[in-house]
Amino acid sequence: MEQLSFLPAWPPDATPLAWIAVLLLAAIIAGESVRRSLRASRVIGYLAVGALLGPAAAGLIDSGTTSQLRIFVDIAVGMLLFELGQRVDLSWLRRNPSLLAASILEAALTFMLVYLAMTWFGIRPATAAAAALIALATSPAVVMTVVKDLRAQGQVSERVMLLTALNTAYAVIGLALMVGLLHDGNERSLAALVLHPLYLVAGSLLLAGVLAMVMLNLLRLFGRRPAFQFSATVSLVLLTVAAATMLKLSVPLALLLLGVFGRLFDHERHFVSLRFGETAMLFVVLLFALAGASLEFSGWATALPLALAFVGARLLGKAAPILLLSGASSLALRKSALVSLGLTPMSGLALLMLHELMQRSPSLAAEIGSAMFLAITMLAFAGPLALEFALRRAGEAAEEVR
Amino acid sequence: MSRMDFGASKALTMGIELELQILNPRDCDLTHGAGDLIRILEGSGHPGDIKPEITESMIEISTGIHECYDTALAELRTIRDALVAAAKRLNLLVAGSGAHPFQRWNERQIYDKPRFRQISELYGYLAKQFTIFGQHVHIGCTDGDTAMYLTHAMSRYIPHFIALAASSPYHQGTDTSFDSSRLNSVYAFPLSGRAPVLDRWDAFVAYFEKMRAARVVESMKDFYWDIRPKPEYGTIEVRVFDTPLTVDKAAALAAYVQALARYLLSERPLAIHEDMYLAYTYNRFQACRFGLEGLIIDPSTHEHRPLHEDIAATVGRLSTHAEQLQSTAALRLIAGWAETRANDAAWMREHFRRSESLADLMWQTGQLWSGAA
Repeated sequence: MEQLSFLPAWPPDATPLAWIAVLLLAAIIAGESVRRSLRASRVIGYLAVGALLGPAAAGLIDSGTTSQLRIFVDIAVGMLLFELGQRVDLSWLRRNPSLLAASILEAALTFMLVYLAMTWFGIRPATAAAAALIALATSPAVVMTVVKDLRAQGQVSERVMLLTALNTAYAVIGLALMVGLLHDGNERSLAALVLHPLYLVAGSLLLAGVLAMVMLNLLRLFGRRPAFQFSATVSLVLLTVAAATMLKLSVPLALLLLGVFGRLFDHERHFVSLRFGETAMLFVVLLFALAGASLEFSGWATALPLALAFVGARLLGKAAPILLLSGASSLALRKSALVSLGLTPMSGLALLMLHELMQRSPSLAAEIGSAMFLAITMLAFAGPLALEFALRRAGEAAEEVR
Repeated sequence: MSRMDFGASKALTMGIELELQILNPRDCDLTHGAGDLIRILEGSGHPGDIKPEITESMIEISTGIHECYDTALAELRTIRDALVAAAKRLNLLVAGSGAHPFQRWNERQIYDKPRFRQISELYGYLAKQFTIFGQHVHIGCTDGDTAMYLTHAMSRYIPHFIALAASSPYHQGTDTSFDSSRLNSVYAFPLSGRAPVLDRWDAFVAYFEKMRAARVVESMKDFYWDIRPKPEYGTIEVRVFDTPLTVDKAAALAAYVQALARYLLSERPLAIHEDMYLAYTYNRFQACRFGLEGLIIDPSTHEHRPLHEDIAATVGRLSTHAEQLQSTAALRLIAGWAETRANDAAWMREHFRRSESLADLMWQTGQLWSGAA
């Protein structure tokens, strides 16, 4: 037997890479199956695999796996948020101010309606405000993934992306303010209320501005070769994630702003020929699988009314201003309805915000934790379906190439 | 009145149609937007007409009927301004040029209209590759026989039109080496080319009825000829122009056709004969490939000369007609472009050489179209 020591022990020890490979494979197979058999969004398949393998079910994905996958998730989030930021054309808001008005109003009304719905259920004002804040953001990951997956192009796609980028920014800035307000007990100092949010916002702005200039100068120096442009951009995106984390700034905000500034300062239009294509999709699959694993499927019965109220108030808050400003923003009412439907998705970002708030305030977790998890779970699955429906109905999805 | 009765119109009036590109300003690729643009423009009371074309990434503008260059140019500018204003509200870029340099044809979406869906089913990928952009110039004729004479006599000058308007040097991401690659896409269609050599309208109607009886065609629209009579308008329609990069150029080209029509009809310098077409495809190829530097073979004298010289000589011959039509300014522009060999393809190549980006080239093209550059 000594001679056979080159053989592995049986069963062999699984390396972390093996788990990642299996998860990835399961997720993409599920994604394709969902697409082919149900003609529904691939995102649903990725989420479902995560949920099935996650702690709520099979328990194969635990916190250990999650931390091993962290780097992939950071890359995926970085690329998606940067690309979304790139698609925010500030000059469009100037040329069509009704769009800016629609964005501000949909955020304001969503906040108000969700807040009112929560307090009507007897939730404390501070907790209700936190829930309302989470309601603002449409999932940037779902929006970018579905739009790219369908190769959708047109007004509904463009407006959903624009409004998502903006409401994500509002939510992230709001979170910074809210964290100051939420400190349980006696910590409500000036530093927590004013200086911390200020540091987050101004710091993220500054970081994104500086790195955007670095990125553009690199592109200027080394020319327009697509492979170089792509690698340089990805490196800077990763640098932004790393720097924002190390400096305790807001990673999502810094990434969005990197995209926005990258475009705003790009007077020589280097980015005009940049295409991200499918490269980041591998990471995105893992991102959704992990999001699926952190969804909760327990406590439905008691949390359901509150969760439904949250979902309903959010839908109404987003739809009403967009429909109201449909004519003023030069879009047919039918397409505006599709735009507001397209803003339904909630997913990883909402979970992240919820975790952050619950960490700060255990009482919040007790009050609305399970209802919020339930609402996010519902919208994580319903959102991609609603967005795909909207893009197809608008005639903006490319035909499937088989 | 049957649809092949020639509806007479006032001699030498002109109308211009331009097919335009709808671009996304982010990456300057073609994007879907025709329906939304048309919806905004429907209520705005602009002059002329703005219509959908076969894909959601194309839009067609057309002028009313004009007697002279100045009013045609003014109307084109007004329509352009309305279109550009609407495009800004939707964050779209509108541009001229005969083909998009790097679009992926399989991403085009056929505009939702029965005729476009039929064409798409019949021609398959050709219909989507047909995402190319041309200018059509209509010249009014008093009767069908005149239209037939003009259709054939004008064919002598087709290479001029191709070379002056050429603006599609890039296709599917590469320099095709042609000044007008767009026409190569047109010639893939079975019913492209030229009208049969018939000089009387009743003979032409008989030909058309035979083609229809054989069910080769259903209507005149199925002929993709370089020049075709358009009985319902009472015009001939010249269809070989790539869409120029500016409306100013489009108007000057139309004025050139109008002056040529006046010359041909008043002096009748050419006799209609099959031999007119001896060098036709050769000349057309030369113009597509080499632009204003191409050669033209005169079918009657068999003389070879560079196109730019032939254009300069022709413009010289047209001076009294241009005076009568008040289009001397336009013809001066034409002569200048011939002399400096400055067509839009040359402008595009020069720009690409500097920026090394086809996307950036289209951005510049959009700026030029809007009248800002």
